[in-house]
This record gives sequence, structure tokens and C-alpha cells, in this order.
Amino acid sequence: MALFAIPDWVVRSALVVGFLAVWELGSRTGMVDPRLLPAASTVIGTALSLLETAAFRAHLWTTIAQTMAAFIIAVPVGAILGLLIAERPYASEVLKPLVFFVFSIPKSIFLPMFILAFGIGFGQKVAFGVFSAIFIMMMTAFAAVESVKREHLMVARAMGASFIQTLRSVYAPSMAPVLLEAVRLAMIFNFTGILLAEMYASRSGVGNQMGLWGQNFMIDRLLAGILIVSVLAILFNEVVRALETRLEHWR
Amino acid sequence: MTTMTTVSARGTVQVENLTQIHRSGERTTHALDNISFTIPAGKFVSVVGPSGCGKSSLLMLLVGLAQSTSGELRVAGRPVAGPDPARIGVVFQEANLFPWLTARKNVEFPLMIRNMSVKERETKARDALELVGLDEFGDRYPHELSGGMRQRVSIARGIVQDPDVLMMDEPFAALDEQTRMVMGDELLRIWERTGKTVVFVTHSLTEAIYLSDHVLVLSARPGRIIDRIDIDLPRPRTFELTSSAEFIQIRNRIWEQIRTA
Ligand SMILES: Nc1ncnc2c1ncn2[C@@H]1O[C@H](COP(=O)(O)OP(=O)(O)OP(=O)(O)O)[C@@H](O)[C@H]1O
Ligand SMILES: [Mg+2]
Repeated sequence: MALFAIPDWVVRSALVVGFLAVWELGSRTGMVDPRLLPAASTVIGTALSLLETAAFRAHLWTTIAQTMAAFIIAVPVGAILGLLIAERPYASEVLKPLVFFVFSIPKSIFLPMFILAFGIGFGQKVAFGVFSAIFIMMMTAFAAVESVKREHLMVARAMGASFIQTLRSVYAPSMAPVLLEAVRLAMIFNFTGILLAEMYASRSGVGNQMGLWGQNFMIDRLLAGILIVSVLAILFNEVVRALETRLEHWR
Repeated sequence: MTTMTTVSARGTVQVENLTQIHRSGERTTHALDNISFTIPAGKFVSVVGPSGCGKSSLLMLLVGLAQSTSGELRVAGRPVAGPDPARIGVVFQEANLFPWLTARKNVEFPLMIRNMSVKERETKARDALELVGLDEFGDRYPHELSGGMRQRVSIARGIVQDPDVLMMDEPFAALDEQTRMVMGDELLRIWERTGKTVVFVTHSLTEAIYLSDHVLVLSARPGRIIDRIDIDLPRPRTFELTSSAEFIQIRNRIWEQIRTA
């Protein structure tokens, strides 16, 4: 909806700028305690200088690498597992309710288990990220299988397609529109899981740093971390969106 | 059981004592009962019969998409063990094209499944599309084509590997009558140019007689062959032929059999 024919993005940017201005003023005038909420300019400055330090960039890369690794595993594995379960009547009957059940449990309570099983390194973060994201992919795959037309499967079979070929040429394009909607959620769950795992027990990663800053009452850095993570989340989201538009013609 | 003599001609279809009983859970459906026939290579044969008599079941067996309960099935002297699109092409009632692929890519699909090189694929797909008169439309997506064009793409997909036999299950049933007539002539043109054996399942007696060399008449379920009629009408067939006394006589004969069987 256009407001006075002003483009949406202008309104959106104005809102963000306005928010930063209020923040800046509130802090500078002492309306809010600057020790609790340093000025926006200070926080942005801190964020930029953080990004300039090699040590912080290493933490950032760790987080990005873990998130991407978990994403690249969780999305196809979740989709294929979901498909395999949904296409077998017996497996469907037995496993579907279990997947729904596990999906509804907060994943964070399993974090101590993951530490016992995998330690606190890169692998544990990726494992927890996968665990956080895989159920939404599986559940969506259950629904997405419904949009695979039996006739198309029959055509593939009549043409002598193997299971892998059918997966690639019929299941994937048929399920993609429905699955893509879950991919974005999977990314959010995954990123949340990784950051949580980093804050909980870790030696590296942005989450780990933010945990330390919080404990040491380094508010400006904490807020700078929030800013950086937010931008990162937006970037992840945009990557997924770019993927979506590339696959649009499958619809 | 192997009493059939192996005929060397490619495109010969031999069916002997074929019986099909569908099982779904507790229920069994006796679809085909002891069907036997032989189609010489290069003939156009239609299969007609009342709804639910097992025509589609027969076709699914012929293209290797189903397993018979008993009996034998050979194409070019070799048993049909499973789908073999290089030998046996298939066209279904609905075009069933993949909406995410262009017409050309749909036609290329069976070749892609066989890991054929891109260049070879393109050449063959172009030839097949040209044969069905759609060489101009290769880049269109299915939703950009008419029903008749979609079905022609589906035929192109069925014959792109140059199979000896083309099996068709009511390929024109979803089309309006005019398009249906045009498609029939189109199919005859393709058939005459390629010399393939065609097995054509249809509800329409007129269509069956108009197109075929022979018509197989199935009884109500369980389907048995109750007649095999040779259509000796001259070719090329014309629309006027459908109102000739001879044509009507054949049609009445088939109808009488279906009605009383
Ligand atoms: N996979 C299947 N499982 C169980 N029963 C089936 C199956 N396929 C077909 N049948 C049954 O077998 C019988 C013959 O079906 P078929 O589809 O072969 O008939 P048809 O002659 O093609 O009918 P129509 O002219 O309406 O297309 C029907 O009673 C049908 O319900
Ligand atoms: Mg049928």
C-alpha cells in the first residue's frame, strides 16, 4: 500500500532513520541512562571497529561457516527424509506423529546433551543447528509430497527413471514451491540454534563473544553485536530469497 | 507355457493368456481374463470396450508399468519385463507434461533419463517436435500451449526414442471433438511416416474404426476379447468415410457386441 504515493522503501528507510535518531537523542540528552543504552552513533562506531579487528572477524567467520554448514545439511537431508517417510504408508503412520511431537519440544533443552555427545567445537554447533532446523524441513516435506502429481511419477517410471533421477526431475521441482517457504524458517531456526549453542558453551563465534560482553557489562559491544547479528540475519534471509527467485520458474 | 513362436519382426506385439487380477487390501478385481492376440509389426490396432473393462490395465501391462497375474507378453519377440521407452513408447490420456519444463525439455526428458549427450538430445527432440508439427513451439511452457498441442508434445515425447511400438491410452479423450478429429489425422500421418505399430485404446468407436487396421473388442469386466474386426476401408481415410454405409455397418456391429456381451 502506497502512502501518499511515496515508495515503500523510502517509508521503510525513514522509519529506520527515525528509530536511530530517537535512540541517539534519548541517549545524548540523558533521557535514558547512556550506560545502559549508549548512543546509536557510539554503537555503530563500536560495530565498525569490531569488524576491523582480526580476532572478531575470525569469530564472525566461525559463526557464518557453522550456519552455512548446518543449513546446507539440514535443508536437503530434512526434505529427503520427510519425502522418504511420506512416501511409505507404514513409515508415515509410525513416524509422522513423532516428528510433529519432537518439533513441538523447545530444542534448547537438548543443548547439554549435544555438548556431552559432540563437545563444544564446530561439529557440535553444526549438529545443533541441523537439529534445530531439520524438523521444519521434514514437516514441510510431508505436506509438499502432496503436490507431487502421481501422473508425473508414472511418466518418470514409464521413461525408466531411477529413484535418484525421479528425485531430481520430478520430486524436487514439484515440491520446491512448498519447500522454499520452509527454507527461510529453517534458516532462522538454524541461526538461532547456532547462536544459542555459542552463547551456552563455546570458545568462539559471535554468540560466544556476546555472552562474554554481557557478563562483563560491556553494553556498547553487546549492542554492536546485536547490530551485526541482525545484519547477518538479514543477509542470510536475502540469500534464501535470491535462491527462491532463481527457482521461481519451477512454480 | 512358452508355446509362442518368436517372430523376428520388430514391433510385433504378442499377448497370450494374459490375466490381470488387481489386489488392493482385501478386495480383488478381476480386470482381464485370458486375453490373447497378436499384432503384426506396423499395424494400427485399437482396443475398445465398456468403461472399467480393463483397457487401461491392459495398456499398463503392455508398457511394463504393471505385472500381470499370469500370461505372457512379448514385443518384438522379447518379454516385457518393465518400462522400456526405447522399444515401447507410451502416451497417456492426459498429456502429463512437466509444467516446469519447456515443450522441448519435456520431449528431451526420456533422453535425459538415458544420459544421452546434450547435442544428441537436442537433435532428436527437434526431429520429434517437427514430426508433430510443433518445431516452432519448443520454447513454450505447457501452460502456454493448447490442449491439442500439449497432447502432441506428449506424443513427441513418446516417439522421441524411435520406439517400434507406440501404446496410447485414450490420448485424445481430454480434447474437444474437432481437435480430436484433427489429432487423429495427425496421428495417422505420423504413423504412415514412421511405420510404427500403434496400440490405441479409445472409448470412441468412430475413432477406433477411422484410425485402425484392426479393432479388438473387449467385454465388460473381466475383459475378454469378444471380437477382432479387420477394417478394410481404403486409406487415406477421410471424414466422409465415417458416414459411409460400410463404416456405419462396422460401428453397429461393434456396438451390438459391446451392448450384449
Ligand atoms: N491399480 C489398481 N488396483 C485395483 N483395482 C484396479 C487398479 N487399476 C484398475 N483397477 C480396476 O480394474 C478394473 C479395470 O480398470 P481399467 O482402468 O483397466 O478399465 P478401463 O477399461 O481402462 O476403464 P475406462 O474405460 O473407464 O478407462 C476396474 O474395475 C478398476 O477399478
Ligand atoms: Mg482407462
